[in-house]
This record gives sequence, C-alpha cells and structure tokens, in this order.
Amino acid sequence: MTAKIDTSERLLIEAAQKDPRRFGDLYEANFERVYAFIVRRVHERADAEDLTAEVFHQALANLSKFEWRSVPFAAWLFRIASNAIADRWHRSQREQGNSAADDPPDPLGAPSPEETETRARLFRLVAGLPRDQRVVIEMRFTAGKSIAEIARELGRTDGAVKQLQVRAIRELRSRWEPAHKKKTSGKKLSAKHG
Amino acid sequence: MAKQSPSEQLDKVIGRLLGAPGTPIPRDEAARPFDPAFSPVIEVIAALRDLPRPDFKARLKSDLERRTSMATPRMTPEFRASAIPYLSVRGAANALDFYKKAFGAKEVLRLMQPDGRIGHAEIDIDGAKIFLADEFPEAGFNSPESLGGSPVQISLQVEDVDAMARGAILAGASVVRPVANQFYGARSGHFRDPFGYTWVISTLTERLSPEEMQRRIDAMGSEPNAESQAQAQQPPAVNYIREGFHTVTPYLIIPGAAKWIDFVKQAFDAEEKFRAQRPGTPAGEAVSDVIMHAEVQIGDSMIEVADANPQFPAMPMTLLLRVDDPDAVFERAVSAGAETIQPVRDRDYGTRAGNVRDPFGNMWDIGKPFPGDKIFREFRSVTPHLYATNAAGLIEFLKTAFGGVEVYRVQHPDGGIPHAQVRIGDSIVALAGGHGPYQPRPSTIHLYVPDTDALYRQALRAGAESIQAPTDQPYGDRSAGVRDPFGNRWFIATHVRDVAF
Repeated sequence: MTAKIDTSERLLIEAAQKDPRRFGDLYEANFERVYAFIVRRVHERADAEDLTAEVFHQALANLSKFEWRSVPFAAWLFRIASNAIADRWHRSQREQGNSAADDPPDPLGAPSPEETETRARLFRLVAGLPRDQRVVIEMRFTAGKSIAEIARELGRTDGAVKQLQVRAIRELRSRWEPAHKKKTSGKKLSAKHG
Repeated sequence: MAKQSPSEQLDKVIGRLLGAPGTPIPRDEAARPFDPAFSPVIEVIAALRDLPRPDFKARLKSDLERRTSMATPRMTPEFRASAIPYLSVRGAANALDFYKKAFGAKEVLRLMQPDGRIGHAEIDIDGAKIFLADEFPEAGFNSPESLGGSPVQISLQVEDVDAMARGAILAGASVVRPVANQFYGARSGHFRDPFGYTWVISTLTERLSPEEMQRRIDAMGSEPNAESQAQAQQPPAVNYIREGFHTVTPYLIIPGAAKWIDFVKQAFDAEEKFRAQRPGTPAGEAVSDVIMHAEVQIGDSMIEVADANPQFPAMPMTLLLRVDDPDAVFERAVSAGAETIQPVRDRDYGTRAGNVRDPFGNMWDIGKPFPGDKIFREFRSVTPHLYATNAAGLIEFLKTAFGGVEVYRVQHPDGGIPHAQVRIGDSIVALAGGHGPYQPRPSTIHLYVPDTDALYRQALRAGAESIQAPTDQPYGDRSAGVRDPFGNRWFIATHVRDVAF
C-alpha cells in the first residue's frame, strides 16, 4: 500500500531523474546542508555561494548517474562539494605559483557530518521565524548591518530592533538545542548547570 | 555606570563575534572569554555567522529551474505537428488549466468572446501546438461532451511517457490503456481527459522498418489471442473490502509512526499486521526507521499509519475508541505517555468516557456505551471523528460524494453541530464543528467501496479535488484519492485480488 504515500527521498530522486523539472524538490530538501558543509570549509560567503551553486549544477547534470544503492543522496552531494572545494584550492595554488600539492589541507576543525546537519537545521529554523525577527537576523548576520542601520531601514527604533534580535536568538536557541545538545555540546551545557 | 539591558549586552556579544561587515568571520573571537551568562547563546550566534544570504537560495533555485526548463526534452522532430488539432471543449478555461497540470502545457494565446467564452486559445506541449476553444453549438462547433465522445485521438510523442502519464493521472486523466511496450517500437498508453478527448502518449523505444512492424502484426495474428484468453480466465471474485478491514479506516500521518505503533501496542493492545519501512537517513537528527505504510488492529478495527514528511505533513486525527473498561484503558494510555484532556466520567449522553492526547498529536475518546447510549451505539472499536468549521457542509458532502447516510445529528439553535454521525457502507464516521481542544483539522481516511472509479467520479462531482485518478496498485487494490472541500483526504479503494505480502 506504499504507493499511496510514497514520498521518500528515493522517489524524489527517481522523479527528478526522469524529469529534471522535479529537481527543485531535491534542491529544497538539501540546500541548507550543502551550504553548511561548504561554508564551514571555505569561510568566505562569496566562495561558499559559488561552490554551492556549482554543486547543485553538477548534481543536476549528473543526476542520472546517481544510484540509490551506493550512498545516501546527501553524502553524494557532499562528495561533489569536497571535489569542488579541492579543485578550487588547486587552482588558487597554481595561480599563486605554488606547486600543486596532493590535497588541500584539512581545514582546522572541519565539521563532522552531525555538525553540518545541526547547522543546516539552524538555517531552516531561521526561515521559520516570524517575519520581523527573521529580517533582523538576516540583516544583522548576512549583511553585517548594525542595529542602527537596520532600525533606519525598517523604520523602527533601535530598542525595538534589539528586542526583535534578542527574541529571535532566544527562540532559535530553545528550538535548536534539543537536537543539538545530544550531538555536540552536551558537556558544555551541563557543565553550566553543574 | 548604568547597567546595560540584556538586549544591549547581547548585541555587544554579537558585534564582537561578527567583526566588521565584509571581513572574514573572526573565528578566533569565539575562543575569547565571554560573560558566562551568554554561553548558552554563543553557539547560536557563532553558527548564525554562516547563515546563507536570504536571496541566494531563491536565486540559485531559479537558475537551476531555468536550466531544467531549457533541458526539458523536445519532441521527436519527425513527429512535429504540421496539422494542428483544434479541440472544441465544454469549459475551455478549465481545459487550459488541466492541460497545464497534466502535460506541462504552456498557454500561448487566449482570446475571449464578449459573452465570456474562449473564442480561441493556443497551447504548446513540449513544442507541439494545440488549438482549442469553448464549444459553439450554434456554429456547429460541438464538444465531445455534446456529441457523446470524439472519434479522433491525439498522439503525443514525448521523451518520457511514464513521467507524463503520471502527471496526467495526477491531474485527473483516466487511464484507458496503461503505459506498456508496444509491438510497433514504442512505449505508450491511452488517457482520457475530463473533457472527452483521448491522448495517446508514447515514447519511441525501437526504430523499426514498416516491414518489421507488419511482420510483428502477422505473428501476433497467428498466436492465440491473448486478450480473449485473459477474459476467459476471469480471476476469482474477491470481496471488495480487504480481509480484516471495513468500509472506513482512519489513516494517520504523523511523525514518529514507529513509536506510535509501540504506543498503541502498550496502551490499547494493538496488534501490528503489516509494516513497510525504510531505514532513516543517518544524517537526520534521529535515526529511526521511516514507516511508509503500516497497519495495526485494535479490537475489530484497523488503523493505517505512515510517517509524516515535508510533502505529506502531519495529519493527526481524533479517534473514538470503544472499550469494555474505559477506566483501565484510560490508565494504560496515560501510563504509556498520553496526556489527559478529560478524565473518565459518566457523560450526560449516556457514555462513560475519558479523553487523552497521545504523544503524536492524536486525540482519543475512550468510552463505553451504557444501554440506551446515543453516541457509541453503532461504533466499532475505532471510529474516526472529523472536525470541520462547516460541519453541515461536510455532512452534505459525505452524502453526495460517498452515499453516506446521516444517522445522528445534534444541532444547536445557532446552527453549531456538536456531534453528528454519518454511516458510509458498514462503518460510521463521527463529525462535529470544532470546540475547545478539538479544533477543525483535516484528516485522512481510507474507504473500501465496490467501484472505485464510479465513487471517484461521484466525489469529484460533489466538489472534491482529485489527488490521484483510479489506478491499479501492486498490492491488489484499485485505488484513487480525492481531497474534499474541507481539506480531508480520502483514499477510495476496491480490493480486486489478494496479494501475498
């Protein structure tokens, strides 16, 4: 009876393999984790965006080669991302006149898959914030704007923007933590209570 | 010095972690000591520095979409239409919508008559032009609905017949002949649209000479006629209701379906009858099996359940549970993790009952009827309870769409309906307008009926929207899906053969 509610990732993939117009669903399901994976390794927003775009364009072009049995879809995307990051590193090494080493050095404290997933989860939580809170977080963190600049653009007082910011951060913290705590920061948080 | 407010202090911390706009994120800052009061939010702030720009996700998506639409396979050139079909349709505006949904058609032109009819329209299906217009009987331009059918079929040559057939079926086309490999070197199927036209959709699979096609036809003629043989061997008749089921079965779509099954086993002695699952993705937050479809039995009733996912978001339900000892069952439900809504007590309508909410969002009304009880008298072990803002409208829908019979209704002078029951087949569906913790929320219900196709059409005429046209399923049912005007999903099925799982 599975046909009635058959909506697993596998079917999304098969649908997109048959009809590339369905790729959008896969993109929606994986954008945050791919971006999180890349941004923790390249650290520059512009590079992270270029590489994220490259990964999804490559995934779309090569989707027919993806086989469900071999690896989970996210792992496949991460592999494309790793290769793209390595290519870019080799290119920049050559441009700087360095002889191409074997591989880029492992970035200091490269995040585990769990951390990547946790980070992606936070990005999705931001998208789910009430609109005015979300806008403040986006302006503050992605555009690096000050409270005063945000207040001017939104036509609100500094105090109101600060309040929105603090509410958003608290909300994110309370919704993010339960899953997050298990994976990484259990010690730190429990140490605080103890 | 004046003490800073918490929001002020938090912003200082954020400022330190962010650094100047445009510069690389100062990662070393994270190592510097902070006021311990902020440690719980430092991680959130640190992670937010990596937040993608809000317009980037949408921009990349539209880039990708542009590429996929450009990559969309074109029609096989040798079949490019040189004679353009001109369809006369009753309800051309609806037909335009349908062809867009079913075949991914693009509307190229629409010209309106002063009387509101569409005088001429043009669509493009993967490069093939089709003209259509509303019917004009006064000018001898009649639709298939007026004429009782159309002798002309439209052949669409496409890159992927299976994908297009799925789209057509989802949009509400009926299957005349399912997609299959054909002797003439194509894979094709026949589909009738709701306006009376038949579309033969195919994808070329082999390049054959006319001689080879003729040879294959001749060879088929000398073999026993497969079709008449199949008719001679009619499968044995089976009950249209699958064994163990009744007409009405609630279908729960909830997060943590596997854990829910454990819950009902513990709380209500449920027996697991069937489960199709796949392993959860290890990258997710919790690695537990994902239930694609499962069936559990409580008393004489079945409940179907599947894990919610982004495409099928959670749809918990309210279920009325008829038991012999409501007090004991209530206790067990609570100790299995359910939350008390109303403790067990004698109700003035003649039932001893209590209400709980299980940890998955489903409400359970656990009751035992007294002699003369009005509510639970006809109930099986499990009866689904729907809530709709417009309960009277829902009752009407159940009558016209599914031949439901209203067996009980309590109505307030203001029109509010606190309780009503409609019998469909051998089962009861209870319903009410929302109140208190029971707010209108859509549910999913599975119906077993003698003729899926007929009931599906009847439901659409009654105002339902098609989710899935009638289709033969590998598990032995012919099933269809509709959404009623109140948001509830109904899967309509006829059991046609028994299949061993």
